[in-house]
Amino acid sequence: MAAACTRRSPDARDEDEDRDSENADSVWGSDTSAGSGSTDFEPEWLDSVQKSGELFYLELSEDEEESIFPETSTVNHVRFSENEIIIEEDNYKERKKYQPKLKQFTKILKGKRLLPKCYNKKNSNDNGPVSILKHQSHQKAGIVVQQMHKDVNIYVNPKKLTVSKAKEQLKLLEVLFGIIHQNKWSWRRIGKQGSGERLVVHGLLPGGSAMKTGQVLIGDVLVAVNDVAVTSENIERVLSCIPGPMQVKLTFENAYAVKKETIQPRKKKTQINTSDLVKLFWGEEVDSIQTPPHSPHIIMYLTLHLDSETSKEEQEILYHYPKSEASQKLKNVRGIFLTLCDMLENVTGTQVTSSSLLLNGKQIHIAYLKEFDKLLLIGLPAEEVPLPQLRNMIEDVSQTLKFMYASLDGALQQAKLHSSVYPSAQQYDVSSSVLLDNLPGVQWLVLPQEIKMELDTALSDLEAADFSELSEDYYDMRRLYTILGSALFYKGYLICSHLPKDDLIDIAIYCRHYYLLPLAARQRIGQLIIWKEVFPRLHLQHSTDSNFEVFQEPEGRYFLLIVGLKHYMLCVLLEAGGCSSKANGNPGPDCIYIDQAKTTLQQLEGVDSYINEQLISSSNTCLSCADWFLAGPHEKVDSLTTSPVLSRLQSTSKTAVSPTCRRTLFGDSSLKTRKPSPSRSSGGSDHGCEGEEGVSTNLHTTPDAVWKQRESQGSGGSEESGALLKITKKKSTFPNPFHLGNLKKDLSEKELEVYNTMKLTSGPENTLFHYLALETVQGIFITPTQEEVAQLSGSVHPQLIKNFHQCCLSIRAVFQQTLVKEKKKALNGEDHSHSTNSTVSSFSPVKEYGVLFECSPENWTDQKKTPPVMTYWVVGRLFLHPKPQELYVCFHDSVTEIAIEMAFKLFFGLTL
Amino acid sequence: MEEEGPGATVHLLCLAASSGVPLFCRSSRGGIPTRQQLPFSVIGSLNGVHMFGQNLEVQLNSAKTEDTTVVWRSFHDSITLIVLSSEEDTSELRLERLLQMVFGAMVLFVGLEELTDIRNVERVKKELRASYHLIDSFLGDSELIGDLTQCVDCVIPPEGSPLQEALSGFAEATGTAFVSLVVSGRVVAATDSWWRLGTPESVLLPWLVGSLPPQAARDYPVYLPHGSPTVPHRLLTLTLLPGLELCLLCGPRPSLSQLDQQLLERWWQPLLDPLRACLPLGPRALPDGFPLHADILGLLLLHLELKRCLFTVEPSGDKEPSAEQRRRLLRNFYTMVTTTQFPPESGPAEKAEDVVRSTQLPKACYVVLGPGSGWQFVALHLGMRLLLLLLSPQSPTYGLRSLATNTLHALTPLL
Repeated sequence: MAAACTRRSPDARDEDEDRDSENADSVWGSDTSAGSGSTDFEPEWLDSVQKSGELFYLELSEDEEESIFPETSTVNHVRFSENEIIIEEDNYKERKKYQPKLKQFTKILKGKRLLPKCYNKKNSNDNGPVSILKHQSHQKAGIVVQQMHKDVNIYVNPKKLTVSKAKEQLKLLEVLFGIIHQNKWSWRRIGKQGSGERLVVHGLLPGGSAMKTGQVLIGDVLVAVNDVAVTSENIERVLSCIPGPMQVKLTFENAYAVKKETIQPRKKKTQINTSDLVKLFWGEEVDSIQTPPHSPHIIMYLTLHLDSETSKEEQEILYHYPKSEASQKLKNVRGIFLTLCDMLENVTGTQVTSSSLLLNGKQIHIAYLKEFDKLLLIGLPAEEVPLPQLRNMIEDVSQTLKFMYASLDGALQQAKLHSSVYPSAQQYDVSSSVLLDNLPGVQWLVLPQEIKMELDTALSDLEAADFSELSEDYYDMRRLYTILGSALFYKGYLICSHLPKDDLIDIAIYCRHYYLLPLAARQRIGQLIIWKEVFPRLHLQHSTDSNFEVFQEPEGRYFLLIVGLKHYMLCVLLEAGGCSSKANGNPGPDCIYIDQAKTTLQQLEGVDSYINEQLISSSNTCLSCADWFLAGPHEKVDSLTTSPVLSRLQSTSKTAVSPTCRRTLFGDSSLKTRKPSPSRSSGGSDHGCEGEEGVSTNLHTTPDAVWKQRESQGSGGSEESGALLKITKKKSTFPNPFHLGNLKKDLSEKELEVYNTMKLTSGPENTLFHYLALETVQGIFITPTQEEVAQLSGSVHPQLIKNFHQCCLSIRAVFQQTLVKEKKKALNGEDHSHSTNSTVSSFSPVKEYGVLFECSPENWTDQKKTPPVMTYWVVGRLFLHPKPQELYVCFHDSVTEIAIEMAFKLFFGLTL
Repeated sequence: MEEEGPGATVHLLCLAASSGVPLFCRSSRGGIPTRQQLPFSVIGSLNGVHMFGQNLEVQLNSAKTEDTTVVWRSFHDSITLIVLSSEEDTSELRLERLLQMVFGAMVLFVGLEELTDIRNVERVKKELRASYHLIDSFLGDSELIGDLTQCVDCVIPPEGSPLQEALSGFAEATGTAFVSLVVSGRVVAATDSWWRLGTPESVLLPWLVGSLPPQAARDYPVYLPHGSPTVPHRLLTLTLLPGLELCLLCGPRPSLSQLDQQLLERWWQPLLDPLRACLPLGPRALPDGFPLHADILGLLLLHLELKRCLFTVEPSGDKEPSAEQRRRLLRNFYTMVTTTQFPPESGPAEKAEDVVRSTQLPKACYVVLGPGSGWQFVALHLGMRLLLLLLSPQSPTYGLRSLATNTLHALTPLL
């Protein structure tokens, strides 16, 4: 790619000269023409760039596709262009996991967004962004409406259905495919066409085959089954003709795209974009998404400022989602929200933050966010999202919206953003994701110094932008953008960041929002390029300080560039204006910057395997599995004194080398725990033998010395709490001729492990189950990776982690209150007379909060024996000074722990 | 209404649900009743939003601003109570329970019939005036905690059995089943029937006795919100010693005059010394010399099934913080623990719990406050008992649990 860049440079240079004088559109035009002139290196994504300069281009890598569709002949192009959406799909077979290949994809749809019906009249000549106006006028001129058809193949087996069929009309459609069509619904989107007999997909049954494909979307119209045209009249007949198990081809017409009415492009986008994640996402949230009538939820954006003249119905609603029955009820009582907001502020002098109400016997929390004269409301059932999380969520949502659209007004009033809020809201259902997604941070993968340095260097090189085309000397003109900073993700984990916390979090929320992080974790990205103008809060808040000594943010514009390659994702924040040239119009993605970012990623490809090992093997701390402590009562003592940490060490070492043999060996070591525990020394030798065994089982060419050393240090670590420091020191001084030559290449997994195997708990055994450390200054947190947790397996452990997360949520809610109060105190710090009184009697600076849990195996069948009981602590600790940090640990009750000590160990050396 | 006065304000509004007519408004500032009230328009709209929601099948329960919490509650579709509190660390749980107690107090004085079927608003208003005293005591700072825990505040007498015997003998002699000994609002001893009183009145009656100005004897008509909300009973109180009162709950008989000096002397004269020993028990709750760890600054022991509690902040009373602050701290800790770790259902019946909860049960929890105070709290849940302790900063954090366990074991025979 770098080569392509240099070749391209003469053209690019010419264009660059034009750029300053021309507006964005024409720049883009010339770029395109130039690109087509030299077709060799026209970037694939070029067609996908929107008028507004935005780009969202995702391509899965070829080998990934092949591995995903081993038995399919799918060519499934989804291409969005300005006026039409074309999804071309050939037949593909879908059974277990279908993951679409996304050839090309842009956010172009967004531009076509029309306002919801009720506001059409009022807002039609609103002044939106240029692009919107353009599209609207465009539409008025009349576009050729492209019918968009897609074929979905679904395997059905009618014989399996013993269900009494076809009691009511269209039942078969539901039973066979999981497609819900309700006749009586006046489906708005279809109404215009007036063909009531069309088979609109009104809903998808959770777990139904249609849903599993991820291809059938609500609102699609079923037009043909095996090329037989169907309507609501003949569908039952046609379907009943299916003789036996077979593939059925369903042809859908995408109503959304065709009608271009009040659709939610963003939702669609997320669905398509992440349809590989649809399962992940929908699978968990099926209930709330599929049955909205039962779980009332709402998002509203209301204006408090009413025009008394135009007393139109519902005029105060600027935005409202969803339109389900239950949310309708909530919508109807919006008067309550408006009144509360207004009145309570008058009475108490502070703004209303939340309220809770009872609807259909369910408690619903409503969170409020008032900005100027507008009010954003999010309401969700209490059982799904506890109140403190809801408060965080609304902050998050508004932050994301502001990041993407500059202001809430801009985002919601033009109703650009329909469901983007919505899925993000729904995503909070799962308890673990509730916790992790709410944290103001990004999960960070702690890497050994050497790797980290390499990454840092690579990013710094890019950021410096002082070479080849990026340097100002090259074209002898001001550069277009200054790189403010960049962050590198690997499989969804942050591994390197040169961004200030606020920017990092903004970007992370953006990525999370589009499921980019899980996407990168699950499959290799062929190519991902996102270019978007963003509005980071850090740079856009103009300091009121007139002091010129203080650094003033330039009044520039900011662009986010995300380039993804395989499991890497590089996010770059660019600034135009300031010391680079000002941006005019809607500049599109810049080839040079994209190419450089890509090159950077390509450079790092070599490190890939190391990081991966790091991810899979223990990242930096030993964990124990809860199940080890739940052995029968008589075995308990033994297992407590010896096994967990040792077996853990063994199992990880073996997993790192060959995951396949792990299970057996692991079984071995757990068997060992049953034996009466030998004395420590004999245990050590025993251990050593096992180490030898490990070497012999895997054919890895490693000198025994390393192994031995590792073993000794491993057991040493189990005796001394401050193992990390010691080990690293030893390591660096240890003269190992084997490693002198190519040190970096030989950072094999064992050394990495030795570097990082750190025991947090004190005492002879490792009693730590889980941890979470949040560093708020850098905006990162560390917690065991999913891979690590998966290694521990066990039946109780996942539950324990779930409970840990739940508990952390409630602890964190308390901490947040504390932080708010501390902030308030800091604000009126002089007012001591009042504050001293309140600090003593109030419950305010909570710094440590621990809960002791008792757990027993879930399905205890043995009636005679009482189930074994294990007790463990979940402890949260908040550090206010020198910088706010939060730590949550979960450990066994057998050893008394001092949280602050653990915190020190965890946070030690935790710098980006 | 943005007066920056000392202390937080609590406003309690009572309205007739059907008409929206305010029946009374009580306010307190910094724990002391004040006359300052909310403007009528605010009262109107507070009630309005609640009514509006009800018409649309949405029941508004609470709302929060940055420093104020509002809780709505309607009782029997006829009375709406609204409380608006800007106390620090106030919680919905506290306010909801407050409203329950307030409504209980209203029924106690007026009877349920009068409240559910309001014909003459003015008369109800007038009758409710009798309950102001009790209601105000809920709004202010109290030494008791029964309003929050909904458990009866008790004390442990040094010599319990003679008192208990005398009490049952006296009950038999007077022909009343419901007799108790109350020292400054806390129950020292009571007959079994008295202990079986339902929740609001079991807390309300001693509270009422404790909050009334001292009198030699009283004869009060009371409705029992739980047991007998429509038929009034008589509450007789006889002061045995200053601060120590004998309470009887009975029907038309015996009259106050029947409980003559002779009867009292016969039963209580021999027990004068044990009775005297009870007098200082009020705030201390535990008998003198009960071995408590020196680090314990405050203690709250709840028996969740019997619905009784011991609450004291006396130990090491000479140290910081003051008793009032300790009470607040413990009240806050109780609220936090009850809302997060030990929800009330998990006490008597552990059934309505989700899957995770059933296998992962919280047993204990502790909180350490940050620099400046350093107080430590520990809660321990064992069987039916819940123990909450306030501890001084020098107590080691890792030892909190064993300290709590030991204390709970020591206290177990008492409650």
